[in-house]
Amino acid sequence: MKKTVPQRVFSAVLITLISVSVMFPLAWMAIAGFKGKTEVLRSPFQFFPDMWRWDNYSAILADPQFLRAMGITVVGALIFTALSLTVNTLAAYAFARLEFTGKRFWWVYCLTPMFIPAMAILLTSFMVVSKLGMLDTLAVLIIPGAASSAQMFFIRQFYLGFPMAVEEAALVDGATRWQIFVRVFLPQSAAPFVVMGIAAYLAYWNAYVWPVLTITDPDLTQIMQFLGNFRSDRGNDWGLLMAGSTLASLPTIALLLVFQRFIVNGVRISGIK
Amino acid sequence: MTALDSRVAVPADPAPDGVAPQRRGRRAARRGRDNRTAYLMIAPMVVLLGIFVMWPLVYSVYLSTFKISFYEEPEFVGLDFYQYVLDSPRFWESIWVGLYYAVLTVPTGIVIALLLASFIKTLSRRAAAFMKTTVYLPAVVSTVVASVLFVFMYQDEGVVNWMLGLLNRGPVNWLNDPGYALPAIAVPGIWLSFGITTLILLAGLLDIPENYYESAQLDGAGFFARLFRITIPLLKNVLLYLLVTGFTLAIQLFELPLIMTNGGPVDATTTPNLYIFNSFRDLTPYATSFSLTASLMLFVVLGAISLVIFRLVNSDKAIDG
Repeated sequence: MKKTVPQRVFSAVLITLISVSVMFPLAWMAIAGFKGKTEVLRSPFQFFPDMWRWDNYSAILADPQFLRAMGITVVGALIFTALSLTVNTLAAYAFARLEFTGKRFWWVYCLTPMFIPAMAILLTSFMVVSKLGMLDTLAVLIIPGAASSAQMFFIRQFYLGFPMAVEEAALVDGATRWQIFVRVFLPQSAAPFVVMGIAAYLAYWNAYVWPVLTITDPDLTQIMQFLGNFRSDRGNDWGLLMAGSTLASLPTIALLLVFQRFIVNGVRISGIK
Repeated sequence: MTALDSRVAVPADPAPDGVAPQRRGRRAARRGRDNRTAYLMIAPMVVLLGIFVMWPLVYSVYLSTFKISFYEEPEFVGLDFYQYVLDSPRFWESIWVGLYYAVLTVPTGIVIALLLASFIKTLSRRAAAFMKTTVYLPAVVSTVVASVLFVFMYQDEGVVNWMLGLLNRGPVNWLNDPGYALPAIAVPGIWLSFGITTLILLAGLLDIPENYYESAQLDGAGFFARLFRITIPLLKNVLLYLLVTGFTLAIQLFELPLIMTNGGPVDATTTPNLYIFNSFRDLTPYATSFSLTASLMLFVVLGAISLVIFRLVNSDKAIDG
């Protein structure tokens, strides 16, 4: 269908309007970071700062606690992503391509957690990790959430779609299942790995309640925990808080922009439609 | 790391040299090896889920039948706490708050998403790619950042009240007025989630053959006729899925009110999960047993709902069921 000129103009206007309203809160957050203490909630209202100043951004970047929180969260998120991809991919391959005794039982067992709301096990999980002496370690943030039914299911669906012929040929050639997994399946898994890897990274980066419960050591404070504490400790310094929130969101926004193609299509292959 | 151990533990294929074994024997050997490989591969996941999901769940159920307090020995009380939770008016109030929030956000979110998806469908490839990324952007923002940001926007001198001022309406004390607080939380709630809904609906829309619309147009069907006679009936499954998942997610809302209002004013934003969380933190008598029991009761309801959704979605999707 060719579009007429008025239709094109209409589309362009609508695109602008929608993008502006969707992005407005984020833009507002970034702009507030450029405002001085007295400007940020001044009446009469002012849209842009009198003078664009970097004070808030440089102040938060000079805050060693903020930097440490950003750093430790990046480290934790990367380890978490790698560990959870490893654990879930292994299980996904076994459930997609291998026949074994008790498969149905273990399949239901591995999928059930998808239907358990986090709150139902939050308190007892906390008791378990404190019994295991994991409180105030990076491990408590990484290990308990690494096995993910949803992620395993997603990758398993992807592996189900692989043609059988490749595998049978390799088996005839005397390759082990393990060799087939490593040499045939892994090299072709980039797309689901990116989608699920980013989901895992985001889940770790944006986590709040679990770190608040399990981490009290300031050296291990996670970035969202830092922002949450910041609000209760220094709640009135909105400019600084908005600058910190902007910087804390940049890594996730950057991830989206870099991998947008994978992510946006990932929704499509996520098993719903 | 367990995952690495299992990798090391897998032996090189001990293929029998020389003699070609019989077919049947070979298949049995193959199965034996597959069993071993398969168990090594699922072991890390099974163990992790066992320690951090299954055991806590069983433990929750077990503890919910005991009266636990700091001062006395735990006492077995059977299902008393379940009755206690059902009799607690604050628990029911929190359920109503959760339902109200779901009513505020789920239909609105789906309508916005359907409009956006229909619009994106008409765009050129490049414009559509741009729009898809734009609407998805809020979904990568953390709930904590969104909460803090919207609290900032809802300040008395904040941008929301300024906009109201342009319409000559007085400043509203958004988060401190019991009538406005929950709708005020619904806005960031929708903002965070409508992107994914839009993309799912877009995928559904693209599956509808274009010639349905063309012939409808030839028959003189207007925009609304096409919407209600073609689009919505053909998207029935997707819409049902979105309604039900949206509902289960909405009723579990937790972090936004935790950070924005902590359940206030006068419990107007105390959702079920926040209620459970806060009653665990409050040192009320038997707080542990009470909140465990309440969370399990929610789990039974929500787990059942999501199981039904999963059955629906998975039935015509998976290749081997």
